[in-house]
Amino acid sequence: MLEVQVQDLVKQYADTTAVDGISFSVNNGEVFAFLGPNGAGKTTTVEILECLRSFTKGSVLVCGYDITKDKDVEEIKKNIGVLPQDFNALDKLTVKENIELIADMYDKHLKVADMIKLLNLEDKANARFENLSGGLKQRVGIAAALVSDPKLVFLDEPTTGLDPKARRDVWDVLANLKKIGKTVFLTTHYMEEAQVLATRIAIVNKGKIAAMGSPQELIDEYGGLKILVIRKADESLAKKLGDKFEHVTMNSNGDIHIKIDNTDKLYSIMSLLTAMKAEKDIEIQTPTLEDVFLKITGSKISEEGEAK
Amino acid sequence: MRFVAIFKAVTKNWLRSRTGLFFSIMFPIMMLVIFGSIFGGSNYVPTMTAAFIMTNGIIGLTSTNTEFKRRGIIRRLSITPLTKMDWVVGCVLSQTLLNLLLTGIMIGIGWIAFSVRVIPDPLTVLMIFLGSVLFSGIGMALSGSLKDVEAAAAVGNVISYPMMFLSGVFVPLSIMPSTLQLLSKFIPLTYFSDGLKAAIITKSTGTTLYDMGIVAALAVVFIAAGVLLTRWKEK
Repeated sequence: MLEVQVQDLVKQYADTTAVDGISFSVNNGEVFAFLGPNGAGKTTTVEILECLRSFTKGSVLVCGYDITKDKDVEEIKKNIGVLPQDFNALDKLTVKENIELIADMYDKHLKVADMIKLLNLEDKANARFENLSGGLKQRVGIAAALVSDPKLVFLDEPTTGLDPKARRDVWDVLANLKKIGKTVFLTTHYMEEAQVLATRIAIVNKGKIAAMGSPQELIDEYGGLKILVIRKADESLAKKLGDKFEHVTMNSNGDIHIKIDNTDKLYSIMSLLTAMKAEKDIEIQTPTLEDVFLKITGSKISEEGEAK
Repeated sequence: MRFVAIFKAVTKNWLRSRTGLFFSIMFPIMMLVIFGSIFGGSNYVPTMTAAFIMTNGIIGLTSTNTEFKRRGIIRRLSITPLTKMDWVVGCVLSQTLLNLLLTGIMIGIGWIAFSVRVIPDPLTVLMIFLGSVLFSGIGMALSGSLKDVEAAAAVGNVISYPMMFLSGVFVPLSIMPSTLQLLSKFIPLTYFSDGLKAAIITKSTGTTLYDMGIVAALAVVFIAAGVLLTRWKEK
């Protein structure tokens, strides 16, 4: 079953096109990620899907309901849970009270105490929202997004602005969602986040989907070759290898890089090194989503989410 | 019944906010004591109460809600099955509770400081309720249409202060030029302030009911405006 179906979605503002004709669908039970830099159209798309923003053209079904029909929107709101970008709650209310407030908006909801437990917020249940750290605030937001037991969960930049420890804590929670089979729509500009959490990724750039697939599929298709690195080698070894194999380079640190286009090549290099008793430190670098992104868009994404 | 949850949440939020409580309760008390000491307290108890119920709606509620809007709190709630009507009603009722509290304290100050012996009757309470709904309704309509907190403070002040002076809260209408007296007939606060004075000081039920009718009608109009101007969806 498809939880989200988007066909040729366009969102135009007076002078820019934020979303430029994108189509995709999200299957039940998968963690689908929109990966791209700031301004790529991720949040705009998500907000359209959450019925928070109007759009210019295209068709969108969420949980099988049409977002342009008022009656359908009511149904969508019952079926989705949302962690908006820059999540905030009432400052003077406690963690528990804020989650309760969201829970009370639904006819049926899970126990607030269970959500507090799920997000490891027991110690902070009676702390005021204003006194929480960024990571804890995000966890309150995730608890609020889950309390209605939604079929589909939207998480818009769930770890932006968090320190690495807090980020990992949030990832643990999200990995749990993946395990219990929740359908999740995630937006992020962190490669690692998409790689760790997503079952399928759409790489979004300048309002368009540039590529889509599982992390492995994307890497296989766009990531380029694996690279064998031989640390602290000498010129003569580089020359010997260069005579026998293609794509052998040496950098200024004295590391030899050899592109591996097939497994046999790797084996023959290894047996040559063994025969030579080279005893060098070696490492195989596999391409990452970063390489995929660079290959597809010609740019990298900074920590802050800017394309560069 | 989602408005009950909204009512509870926003009420707890202002009860625990010291600056909010200062401006909505301590500031009116200060003004009552100052003006009452200079000019005698009896008329100032109802008119100041009316005036600050007005500012609590038009300045206080508008600032609080535009701040909620800026921080995405309203947006977060709008993604749930909450209706605009429930949202507006919850906020307005919470504000009304604050205003009933304010009225009680103002009457208490009247007793202690100015020997104005007032026991609020049901008609007074109804008047406070309707006036509170009216001005909170204006606050909801303003916060629905204004983008940021600065604009809310500016617009709230620009509306409130002339209204306060032109409704005879500080200066009796009888000593004002006739054009201003005529203008005062178009100011909602005039009817609320007059009606409240009639209910608790002069005890003229006829005047109270007449003013109450006008306040009630305006309350309906502004609640409707509040619901219509609240936006659940952005462009």
